[in-house]
Amino acid sequence: MIEFRDVGKRFADGTVGLESLSLTAREGEITVLVGPSGCGKTTSLRTVNRMVEPTSGAVLLAGRDVAQGDPAELRRGIGYVIQQAGLFPHRRVIDNVATVPVLQGLSRREARARAAEVLERVGLDDALAQRWPAQLSGGQQQRVGVARALAGDAPVLLMDEPFSAVDPVVRVELQDELLRLQADLGKTILFVTHDIDEAIRLGDRVAVLRVGGRLAQFAPPDELLAQPVDDFVSGFVGRDRGYRRLGFLPATALRLVDLPTRADANGDTAGPAVPGEWTVLLDGSERPAAWLGPDGARHDLGSVYVTDGDDAAADAAGTLRGALDAALSSPAGRGVAVDGAGRYRGGVDTDDVLALLDRSAPR
Amino acid sequence: MRAFGYDIDELVIAHVLLAVVPVILGLVIALPLGWWAHRSAGARRVLVPLSGALYTVPSLALIVFIPVLLGTPILSPVNVGLTLTIYTVALLVRSVAEALDAVPATVTTAATAVGYRPAGLLFGVQLPLAVPVLTAGIRVASVSAFSLVTVGALVGIQSLGTLMTDGFQQDYTAMVATGIVGSVLLAFLFDALWLALGRTLSPWARAGAGV
Ligand SMILES: Nc1ncnc2c1ncn2[C@@H]1O[C@H](COP(=O)(O)OP(=O)(O)OP(=O)(O)O)[C@@H](O)[C@H]1O
Ligand SMILES: [Mg+2]
Repeated sequence: MIEFRDVGKRFADGTVGLESLSLTAREGEITVLVGPSGCGKTTSLRTVNRMVEPTSGAVLLAGRDVAQGDPAELRRGIGYVIQQAGLFPHRRVIDNVATVPVLQGLSRREARARAAEVLERVGLDDALAQRWPAQLSGGQQQRVGVARALAGDAPVLLMDEPFSAVDPVVRVELQDELLRLQADLGKTILFVTHDIDEAIRLGDRVAVLRVGGRLAQFAPPDELLAQPVDDFVSGFVGRDRGYRRLGFLPATALRLVDLPTRADANGDTAGPAVPGEWTVLLDGSERPAAWLGPDGARHDLGSVYVTDGDDAAADAAGTLRGALDAALSSPAGRGVAVDGAGRYRGGVDTDDVLALLDRSAPR
Repeated sequence: MRAFGYDIDELVIAHVLLAVVPVILGLVIALPLGWWAHRSAGARRVLVPLSGALYTVPSLALIVFIPVLLGTPILSPVNVGLTLTIYTVALLVRSVAEALDAVPATVTTAATAVGYRPAGLLFGVQLPLAVPVLTAGIRVASVSAFSLVTVGALVGIQSLGTLMTDGFQQDYTAMVATGIVGSVLLAFLFDALWLALGRTLSPWARAGAGV
């Protein structure tokens, strides 16, 4: 648990970085700090590992004031990831990751073994371990940055816009990776971003900050979208918050419909299963491959609605947003639903989704 | 090997020692001074102009003045060695400061964040990363030391420069030429050695270029 108690920071030149921030990041959760540039996100993050010393108030880590004790020692127990990864250019990937274990007193061999484990954890290929950081892509560097932060086995991670320098596709990959890791590791993570979408995807709770580190709202993402406390927050979460919120609403009452399906034989010329209707073509493992139009031509599947379960019998619902996306992106006017393993489950009728939306409209 | 009535091996060894030892000594002195200039704007305002000014003092003047100041014998090689050390320091203080400045802030921030203390940061991160810029500075200092050693011959301190001064007096062109070619070759040889050392210490520096 990280607890900010009335933390204030006035820099030597008189700039007020933080007025008086009080906030608790819960054990095992991702707490996101989001807000406009210069609002004090980095400053508040750095008061935790004492790269910034507060001028008033205190930061408590697991109930202990961080101001007591040696800062270098403190930092070895806190993972830190920054935007440009900040890898050591003169150390190979494996040794970058081994840095913290070495500082913690492990032998180089033990530290490397530990580093290799962590690299595997973050999905980096063994072959990359011996490269120099300059020989990696931005996304790979960022993964190494995360690996380095994890290598010390710290229970607490501070992440300062770790994914904002990579392109959007890679960013989503890295976000997914982080969520997967977090599901395994259950770290207490303080995550800074200025991207509200990222905040909403990753945060168990999201703190929206105004300039001076003043807390505008601190709530779980769905609550932030449903009930922004004021104009600043609603302006910040954006106009399309209604649509985004659908990503948090389960499509519980959505009934799947039956669609005509047929095996996707190689190079086949057979027509639709039912004349005049759209047919879903399934591959050998029951996964939808494409639509076959009434005209006999193949069409892209569009995005699919993923229900939560990973076996066909499970009835867990996916999100309303997933259902809507599937219905709207399909050329057939109906979406395709799959289970967690990607197997065909049924169809999503656009009218059903819209009716459901109507009933769950915010307020 | 003997030629022109001189033991050439002895001259070469004297030449190399007189040029190389001051460069190493100068580097050792310039490192803390450059680090200080890197850390403190005040120190930099004094150290950088001062070292620049030192470099403009004519070498002969230094070689002649040092015995007066320190009481060393006029024919002692220490006078030349000290002069070259001063020049090296003058050249390298700025190199060191700039090499340390050039270490990206993201890297030093990351190093601090993982728990390096200042000394570990300097020796484990900043200095290794300063190697390419430092190597460039050392090469300039080394080449200039090899040529300045010959000036010592004017006041009777033995080196390949002795072949130049004596050859000139005896109007013996081959002897002068041998002195010049020899000292140039030595300068090149050690330049290549410094370059190789720098590269060995910074294999990462060429990694970005796809090597
Ligand atoms: N060392 C410093 N000296 C003086 N002022 C500073 C210092 N560091 C930060 N500030 C100021 O404190 C305020 C908060 O800065 P901070 O870096 O925490 O913002 P941020 O929310 O992280 O912004 P960004 O999204 O741009 O990274 C800004 O006005 C900034 O200019
Ligand atoms: Mg910042």
